[in-house]
Amino acid sequence: MKFLGLTFKSARRSKRRTFLTIMSVAIAVFLFASLRAVLDGFNAGAEASSSTRIITIRSTSLIFSMPTSHADAIRSTPGVQDLTWANWFGGIYKDPKNFFASIAIEPESYLRMYPEIVLTPDERKAFLEDRTGCIVGDGLAKRYGFKVGDVITLQVGIPTYGTRDYDFTVRGIYESGGAAVDNQSMLFHWKYVDERSLVKGQVGWYVAQISHPDQAAQIASAIDQKFANSPNETKTDTEKAFQSSFVSMFGNLNLLLGSIALAVVITTLFVAGNTMAMSVRERTTEIAVMRTLGFSSMTIFLLVAGEALMMSVIGGALGITAARLIVNPDFMQAGAFIPVFGVNGRNVVTGLLLSALIGVLAGLIPASMASRLRIVDALRRVA
Amino acid sequence: MALIELREVTKAYRRDSVEIPVLDRVTITVADGEFLGLMGPSGSGKSTLLNLLAGIDHPSRGTIRIGDTDITRLSDTALTAWRGRHIGFIFQLYNLIPVLTAFENVELPLLLTRLTKKQRRDHVMTALGIVGLTDRAKHYPRQLSGGQEQRVAIARAIVTDPTLLLADEPTGDLDAKSGGEILTLLQRLNGEYKKTIIMVTHDPHAAERATRLLHLEKGTLIEQERVS
Repeated sequence: MKFLGLTFKSARRSKRRTFLTIMSVAIAVFLFASLRAVLDGFNAGAEASSSTRIITIRSTSLIFSMPTSHADAIRSTPGVQDLTWANWFGGIYKDPKNFFASIAIEPESYLRMYPEIVLTPDERKAFLEDRTGCIVGDGLAKRYGFKVGDVITLQVGIPTYGTRDYDFTVRGIYESGGAAVDNQSMLFHWKYVDERSLVKGQVGWYVAQISHPDQAAQIASAIDQKFANSPNETKTDTEKAFQSSFVSMFGNLNLLLGSIALAVVITTLFVAGNTMAMSVRERTTEIAVMRTLGFSSMTIFLLVAGEALMMSVIGGALGITAARLIVNPDFMQAGAFIPVFGVNGRNVVTGLLLSALIGVLAGLIPASMASRLRIVDALRRVA
Repeated sequence: MALIELREVTKAYRRDSVEIPVLDRVTITVADGEFLGLMGPSGSGKSTLLNLLAGIDHPSRGTIRIGDTDITRLSDTALTAWRGRHIGFIFQLYNLIPVLTAFENVELPLLLTRLTKKQRRDHVMTALGIVGLTDRAKHYPRQLSGGQEQRVAIARAIVTDPTLLLADEPTGDLDAKSGGEILTLLQRLNGEYKKTIIMVTHDPHAAERATRLLHLEKGTLIEQERVS
């Protein structure tokens, strides 16, 4: 502890250089944490998805629909306990850039099968009773200032749903009880949309409740078998696989963002290492003096390495703090694309550990240089 | 009683394949409480001799005994620890740490001891009191004159109450008045506090303050002279 003050004082020797080094680590950790937040946000739905819900879509693509007649066939499949369905509505709220998910659902069964959608009993009742009613996530409500009783007008984004605008009355504002359901969506009655659709009786995806996760593959296969060789063949998978398929539409995000984060971290490592090496070179005489006073090679090594570690961890803490403040739905309007968006506790710890690793690696060579300095040679350099 | 015994100490440096002799079979005995002046022209080996006594360089041959310890037999680690306990070193260019205050510079060697913060503080203030700079404790080196910096350096050298004080041209970078004050301080440390001092200088006026003078030339001890 008594050497901590010495380390702090040494770091303040060149304030500008120390500041820049700290900032370089801070930016690296900020980028790392932000990229991790994006990846985690994309993956959150899949990670938190239910293991007892399976999803059936058209085998060709999610963008093609299926007839409602599939519902009875799926419901009658052994192992299926409950069934609901939904359509991607793709509505436009005032301007296309105001993007959020607008989904037509079969309300009663959907709310039953998704207990993660948390509503008060009154809101639930009001929504179920109003064919033109809708519920919005609290995140979405906060973003646009929606309140219960407001009328939201959505322009049609997909031609199948006609040409006239749709008016919805907000009947409830739900909270998300888990990452499988985001709080940035708008949900409304499938029937209301179906009535005005150009093609009636179409469903985007079915969600089946099964009794045992172990049976998922078997039941999925049985469902798909029922529609094999029909004009509307299906592809049934777990909710996790369904959620992951959305992420994979963006390409290999893990590899792309991971590579960017790695490149930033390695660059910062070189910057911090070079800074520490410069600092040690400038302090050659001082180190020689300290060795003369009785400081051991190991103590010098630890002082220099400790200084690099301290600067890096301070930078890491700043970067993480900035990431926590900036990368969250309240500050950034990315919530609709990445509904569960924010730097979580695991990424805070990882970011701090990463900054410590940068500090240790950046300090190793300069600390080794400093500890192996020959006192006489170092003193002669200035004498 | 002899505090220091150098026997047949030889030092040579190797540059590429050429061996450059610096000290040649130097034998010296220094009594406890002596103030020894080491004189000689540049390159005569006096600073090298001081470095060997401080244990920051190793002789090529010969033995150096200080107190009960033959320091030529100590490992680097043991020598570092020994140096911290027994040697106070005063440099020509003071070599204070610029980011530390006078107090913190003097405290530096004490950080290696087991003293408490309060004990360290007491020791530092005593040392600064001896050199007459208690009122400059919070000043940084850049806020001090050359003479004051050297006095802080002396306080740093004596704060651990070392067995031996080694001074390498302590007045070499100072004006005559400041230099005189430093020499008076060294004399006081020798006379009043019974510190054994070995001082390298090529200033005859500085050398007069020593109780005994040794002359080195081309690495060989050529003359011994008792001043007072």
